[in-house]
Amino acid sequence: MVKKYTSMAYAKADDMLFGNCKFPVKAGLGLEIGAGYATPELNYAPRPQAGKSKEKLVKEYERITTDAMARMVQIGAPSVVLETEHVEQMSNNPEWGGAVAHAQKTIMEEYHDEYGIKCALRHTIGDIREDRDYLQLRGDKYSVFMEAFEQCAQNGADLLSVESMGGKEVFDYSILRNDTAGILFGIGVLGSMDMEMIWSDIADVAKKNGVVAAGDTDCAQANTAMFIAGGLLDKNLAHTTAIVARSIAAGRSLCAYEAGATGPGKDCGYENTIIKSISGVPISQEGKTSTCAHSDVMGNLTMQCCDLWSNESVEYHGEFGGTTVQCWVETLAYDCSMMNTSLKLGKAKDLRDILTLSDKYRDPQGYVLAYDNAYRVGQAIVKDGEDNYLRAKNAAIECCNIVGEGVASGKLKLTRFETNALAKVKADLEGLTDDSDKFMSDCLTKYKEEVAVFRTENYGL
Amino acid sequence: MLDLKLEDIDGILVRYNVALEKEMTPDEAAEELYPKDEQIYPIAKAIYEGEEDDVIDGLKAAIDAGKDPIALINEALMTGMGVVSKLYDDGIIFLPNVMMSADAMLDGIEFCKTQTTEVPEPRGKIVCHVAEGDVHDIGKNIVAALLRASGYEVVDLGRDCPVDEVIEAVEKEKPLMVTGTALMTTTMYAFKEINDKLLEKGIKLPFACGGGAVNQDFVSQYDLGVYGEEASDAVKIANFIVGGGDDIEKLREEFHKH
Ligand code: B12
Repeated sequence: MVKKYTSMAYAKADDMLFGNCKFPVKAGLGLEIGAGYATPELNYAPRPQAGKSKEKLVKEYERITTDAMARMVQIGAPSVVLETEHVEQMSNNPEWGGAVAHAQKTIMEEYHDEYGIKCALRHTIGDIREDRDYLQLRGDKYSVFMEAFEQCAQNGADLLSVESMGGKEVFDYSILRNDTAGILFGIGVLGSMDMEMIWSDIADVAKKNGVVAAGDTDCAQANTAMFIAGGLLDKNLAHTTAIVARSIAAGRSLCAYEAGATGPGKDCGYENTIIKSISGVPISQEGKTSTCAHSDVMGNLTMQCCDLWSNESVEYHGEFGGTTVQCWVETLAYDCSMMNTSLKLGKAKDLRDILTLSDKYRDPQGYVLAYDNAYRVGQAIVKDGEDNYLRAKNAAIECCNIVGEGVASGKLKLTRFETNALAKVKADLEGLTDDSDKFMSDCLTKYKEEVAVFRTENYGL
Repeated sequence: MLDLKLEDIDGILVRYNVALEKEMTPDEAAEELYPKDEQIYPIAKAIYEGEEDDVIDGLKAAIDAGKDPIALINEALMTGMGVVSKLYDDGIIFLPNVMMSADAMLDGIEFCKTQTTEVPEPRGKIVCHVAEGDVHDIGKNIVAALLRASGYEVVDLGRDCPVDEVIEAVEKEKPLMVTGTALMTTTMYAFKEINDKLLEKGIKLPFACGGGAVNQDFVSQYDLGVYGEEASDAVKIANFIVGGGDDIEKLREEFHKH
């Protein structure tokens, strides 16, 4: 059963901090996440040729793991998390994923035994629930999908995650058409329904195997919006629309923790500060250290309340300073060292505010995700926490209000285009019903007709 | 929490998009570009506004007034879309407007076809696909929509498209070019295979490639490859081929910017 959040974990926004959370999570080899210190989380991708066979893939991940662990010891880092985001072969053939987890964990155990370095292994299973043309969220692939979690959990993965895709077919259609109701329906309603289903099952797998059901991210939707929105000069999507999608995504990704996950949430969930304010779970985040994977407009701000600090992903190959995994994990570790020093000196809140303020006025997305405003979006969600639709709608409306206030203060500047897009979203939202059943039936009628690839059976409808 | 003073923010970041914004509103800019013809104007405007019902109403009125349905495709629908494309290229309107206009225009074309037995002449056929093993299809969808909006007939092979399917489609459809989208370094190698198989069969046509993982250096490695960074480059490449031929070297000279 899922138990919905109807109150905030933190009494006030100012209580939120990096390296600390209400409900720390013990994982792996001596690590406790969110228990007073921040830890680097390294993510990597094998070179393309390495995917050819299971043996090649295992070998590649052994190299990656050894390189990263060795560098952590060389620079004296006290803790590290390694995240393996599955390439498709590892999830479609669950025993491959298991073999990789086992190989990595064996190396990590050696380092832990020899040096005492605290460490844990996250495996992020690929959401393979689709065939070429359609999502197949509940079909034949579901059992393979669950088996992939099972195999990883049995063979050494300490933290289980996925970047799930429920609602994506309606979202993809809507985001290119400024269709507010469709964005809300795709992320807030369909996405939440799928999250509740898969995370109940993933939490069972984790429990059975004594590992951690970590969490999800709305990468498939909110990050798609963020990427389409792009930099300041891109003209494919208003950044104000992207941040509304992000606020909606917070209610959706929260469903994992309602279904039994305990954190740490996934790095690319830029909605995670909102989620932390509600749930108190530890979160992973990425920003300036993930420029190897993508650009964003809030590289420092995202560090504000993180418990794990990540690089998103980097392909394994050589650089002047070592292999890529060594270079990036080292950067992450020094950032964590800075955060941890500020915690010891009693200066952490100052550092947090410096990080936040350096990006708060750069873009409406950063403005809303600044922890003080993120907290307010959290409050809007828990106000109707029991109802996935209403809480998503509340979050979206609160997001519009926050941006409006920022503009009124003179500190957040918008283009006319962003202003107009915001006004449109807001008007659309205000025009929507307060009756979730009606919203559901209206949307089913509309999107069954308009979105050729939308299949209601994916959601048990 | 700490905060910055208003006057301090400029030294920390610059909102270049705000600083450089054009003076004219999109509606004003569009108004200057619409054709003045009494029958055509409302159709072009309805395209710009993305209102398919108004497009159909406008078409009905124009046909009643004696205009030829097939001629209206070019004179009204494509002209309206031309306004939209220009405003997008100039940075005055954004992609969702273009997508909605394109939907409205396609509805308009379908309507015109029902009003006559003549078959309209598309500007040319283009095969679009996402590389085998890759499901990232939003960029391809944008490419396909922009091409359709510019009057090209698009054969959309979808995502995760096997190499042989692309070859078959090229043999069957005889397009003026193929487009490929790949967002993963692991999937973009399929483009080379497509290139080799096409050449083996003696088929030589421009193969426009783009998408997050793809870069100019990679695309330059195979003979038919032409790299495009933005979705709108696909349209520009197609237009270049229609206007100036399909010489790959010339295309690269024009579109390889790095
Ligand atoms: C959204 C997204 C997804 C969504 C895709 C939704 C969809 N329907 O497309 C979902 C969640 C499904 C997804 C899944 C996965 N993803 Co993904 N995803 C992304 C993300 C965040 C954004 C991509 C996007 O939509 N961009 C916006 C579009 C509009 O951009 P675009 O396609 O490049 O198109 C633009 C131009 O390139 C151009 N263009 C495109 N095509 C063409 C063609 C021509 C001819 C021309 C001229 C121009 C042109 O036009 C567009 C606009 O100008 C990227 C991050 C990133 N840095 O790119 C990762 C990313 C692409 N994904 C990645 C990965 C690893 C995956 C997964 C394997 C994750 C997993 N473990 O399951 C799976 C892949 C499954 C598979 N087999 O494909 C990696 C790829 C790494 C690599 N190996 O190269 C990335 C780079 C993230 C990262 N940094 O690790 N993903």
